[in-house]
Amino acid sequence: MKFSRLAVIGLLLGLLMAISVAPAAAQELPRNETLYFNGQQWGSVVGWNPYSSNNNNAMAITQADSARVIMFETPYLYNMLDGQVYPLLADGPYTWNDAHTEITFKIKAAAHWSDDTPVTAHDVAYTWATHVKYMTPTGAGNVDYIEDIVAADDSTVVIKAKLSDDGTAVNPLIVQAYVSTNYVIQKAWTETLEARANFDATALLADTAEDVVYSGPYHGYFWDESKVIYIRDDNYWGQDASMWGKLPVPKYLAHNIFADNAAGTTALKAGEVDVSQQFNSNVQDLWLVDGLPISTYLPEAPYGIGASLPTAFYNLNSHGLDNVAVRKAIAIAVDYPTIIANAMTNQSATFEQVPRSLMNPTAGEQAMYDHAAVADLQWAGNDIEGAKALLDEAGIVDTDGDGWRELDGQPLRYVATCPNGWSDWQAAIEVVAAAGAQIGIDITTNYPEWSVYQTVVTKSDAPLPEGYDIFMMWSDGAGPTQPWSRIRKLLSSEFIGMTSNWNGNWGGYSNPEADALIQAIPTVTDEAQLKEMYTELVRIYLTDVPSFTLMYRPQSFHTVNESVWTNFPYDGDGTNPPVPPLDMTDGWGIAGLYNLELVNP
Amino acid sequence: MRYMLGQIFSSVRFRIGFSIFAFILLTVLIYPLIITEPPLKTISRGTFLSPGIYVNVYDSIGFSPQYTLLLDGAAERRIAAKLNADDRASMKEWLVKAGLPEESIDTQDTAALLEVWHANFDPTIRLPGMTNADRNYYIRLNTALDGLLATEGATIAVPDATTGALKEQAVVDQTSYVNIYEVPNSRVFPLGTDNFGRDVLTELVAATGVSLIIGFVAGTVATVIGLLLGLISGFLGGFVDDAIIFVTNLFTVIPSFIILILITFSIGQDKRGAITIAVVIGLTSWVWTTRAVRAQVISLRNRDHVNLSRLSGHSTAYILMADIFPYIASYVVMAFILQVSSGILAEAGLSILGLGPRTTEVPTLGLMMNWGMIYQAHILGKWWAYFPVILVIALITFSLNLMQTGLDRVFNPTLRE
Repeated sequence: MKFSRLAVIGLLLGLLMAISVAPAAAQELPRNETLYFNGQQWGSVVGWNPYSSNNNNAMAITQADSARVIMFETPYLYNMLDGQVYPLLADGPYTWNDAHTEITFKIKAAAHWSDDTPVTAHDVAYTWATHVKYMTPTGAGNVDYIEDIVAADDSTVVIKAKLSDDGTAVNPLIVQAYVSTNYVIQKAWTETLEARANFDATALLADTAEDVVYSGPYHGYFWDESKVIYIRDDNYWGQDASMWGKLPVPKYLAHNIFADNAAGTTALKAGEVDVSQQFNSNVQDLWLVDGLPISTYLPEAPYGIGASLPTAFYNLNSHGLDNVAVRKAIAIAVDYPTIIANAMTNQSATFEQVPRSLMNPTAGEQAMYDHAAVADLQWAGNDIEGAKALLDEAGIVDTDGDGWRELDGQPLRYVATCPNGWSDWQAAIEVVAAAGAQIGIDITTNYPEWSVYQTVVTKSDAPLPEGYDIFMMWSDGAGPTQPWSRIRKLLSSEFIGMTSNWNGNWGGYSNPEADALIQAIPTVTDEAQLKEMYTELVRIYLTDVPSFTLMYRPQSFHTVNESVWTNFPYDGDGTNPPVPPLDMTDGWGIAGLYNLELVNP
Repeated sequence: MRYMLGQIFSSVRFRIGFSIFAFILLTVLIYPLIITEPPLKTISRGTFLSPGIYVNVYDSIGFSPQYTLLLDGAAERRIAAKLNADDRASMKEWLVKAGLPEESIDTQDTAALLEVWHANFDPTIRLPGMTNADRNYYIRLNTALDGLLATEGATIAVPDATTGALKEQAVVDQTSYVNIYEVPNSRVFPLGTDNFGRDVLTELVAATGVSLIIGFVAGTVATVIGLLLGLISGFLGGFVDDAIIFVTNLFTVIPSFIILILITFSIGQDKRGAITIAVVIGLTSWVWTTRAVRAQVISLRNRDHVNLSRLSGHSTAYILMADIFPYIASYVVMAFILQVSSGILAEAGLSILGLGPRTTEVPTLGLMMNWGMIYQAHILGKWWAYFPVILVIALITFSLNLMQTGLDRVFNPTLRE
């Protein structure tokens, strides 16, 4: 008796000590000052180095078409809903010179770093110089298109495009995308980093940079293997009237690190997550069946704005897949409505609603090609008879009576594949395989681990190995270079032969006509001519079928629980310019952080 | 033999276990004769349809005889299905927030409530404290209320082939009924559908069959290896015994499920068929059979009849088969039953980890659980996609274990009643 009482007291004392020495951040954050996320951060944060791509710090560092700007900032913010860019660090719109070879923009006078020094044009120029000097991913991706970025004075930035022999910019689209895609990093801090890394590229990129200087409204506050928390910088320059005029509403942004989607969904249902960037299957059940205060950007299916085109690529070196009749037959036989209803649980527009092309379902891109001109080529799927007729006509029939068709005496036998555990993709690939059986083509499925899959698929300097006949990969979403960049990555032969091809055309398609159009488009400004060129590309794509889109997918899943916070962006919320459903962290989507309100203030 | 069977079947445990197992086995054998549809066929567009009878709406309107039934309370039930007490309270809340006096709203009088609602509700208004989820709810509710109090029937119209103008085809009265058995197309899903839109019951029956085969193959492989090694090691002794027991001990200390995971992972998904998985399970689970058989053989090898057989010049193989095996046969049968049951569990465990057989070919119980989990059936409350699977696994292992303990009571002298 005596002993147990002592033990209890000892235990309590121990607990008390444990609590008092734990870091402040590990304690409960005030719920009505914290916005909780899921689906953006998997595994623990490695570093804070904006030059490196190995930080595993997705919330803070993601340079993309709609760049994530809670900690580091880009000169402009891209808005996927209206296709415009809006100034952030920049002051007013950027201008091209008359020859269309240089972009000029100013930096806002109010913009300053977290150490209170002003953001200047020299920072922008030095950021670029560093990217090139150490060949960071950003440097490598842009060095063929950008000659230099210089500071004309303290506040004026000039981006000089690389010129081709005739004196025009090689690719003005990529040059202008730079301003909304890439962060501005402080020159003084970069110099410190370089000195620390001894001017060695490997050491520079491996630096975890916990002392990094930033210009955005949030910065790292606490991070371990269970969560990452960002805290607001109340000295943030953006509260100046020339930008937002106020601070973003939540004091903390927190992201618990969940084991998998199921754990994330459970937390969302419990109200422990406010903004969910993950695939929640049958998301409508959360409000229709469970009656939870959860909603998506659109109240009805497809619930979000489709932006990218998850695509099944054909390996054009596989036996029979070099034959367009086989490629087209499989593509038109696939039951797309079932993929969309079952694999995506209706979180994609259907191909009846948005007929297939190379464009995503946004109104802006849909207007870029002539629908009537390619209507005969578009298919909605499930056309088993059509597929059979196509194969019969091409002389691809079952000659030995085993139920499978042969071409040149060899049966058509394929493996359809995608990474293991990517549930909606796996379910889609199962539907593709089922279509094969119906038209006499033997398709089985296989799901390698992602680590294996990515190495195999992105190695474009040799034919794909066995087992990769039909394989799924992504396409670009919405962005300032779209739809051109997506089309290039689906069709351009320039990626064949790359040792590490993270761009596209993994199946090895090559068509000089398509290549010429892709090369020409960036310099064309006449809209009628552009539309004609895009229509021609759609025609080539739907005729040759080097790959086929299986579904439309939103740029980000954007599901919100309004137990604590409300006034998240939704379709028709009256914001102008409209705030896109990008979890309030990406591109112009960050504007949503300034509109949040508490449900119970 | 007959006496022995009588003995075995006199055990209540064995009888219960045998009945359950026989029922499962018969279902697996007979069900496919009645429902001939392939088990992996996608039937429903839309996932996790709940269990029930699905009647073709088109057919029930146009192709089935209609009857008039005058049932009490039909209209009330119809209204309640679209407008329950919570909805009424929510409507009142909205109206009060919009500025209407609370006492002017009677939530019980449907007609009056709808009148006030239609006169005041505006989907574009966002009242203070109202979330977007609330707003969506009110818009859905408002749509559902459309025509709620109508007493006339619904008109079915078809577009004219040439002009496209709608032409009245039929009127469906509120008192019209069809007999489900007279509708040309209807489908029973006793256990609903899964994430692929497959009929769960059909898939479950097929999966049970495959899992039983996996268990049987795994059990056979494990028992054969275990038995052979145990016999040889126990009977020969000496260096052979040391060598076999050394390997056995190695496998004993490393948890067999870990070895199983490592082997299946290294085989690669493309080569993992159901039978391959079964063989791998068998190859990793023979250890205990070996040890037990060896122990038994050691106690038998110096018995008089064995020595006699040896003196008669019989070969080792003959002695093992004729003089030793019959004494341990009952034990081996019991061990085999347990191996079958643990083989089924091992497959389920592997598949839940995503290391089970490849998916397009055959369904297994573990794969059904795996896909149910991937599509979050357990979180979304779609019990029919995973609970029947758990139940079947539990019933199979339970029945096998019951049969085993029943046998034990008959064969084990110390337990014999």
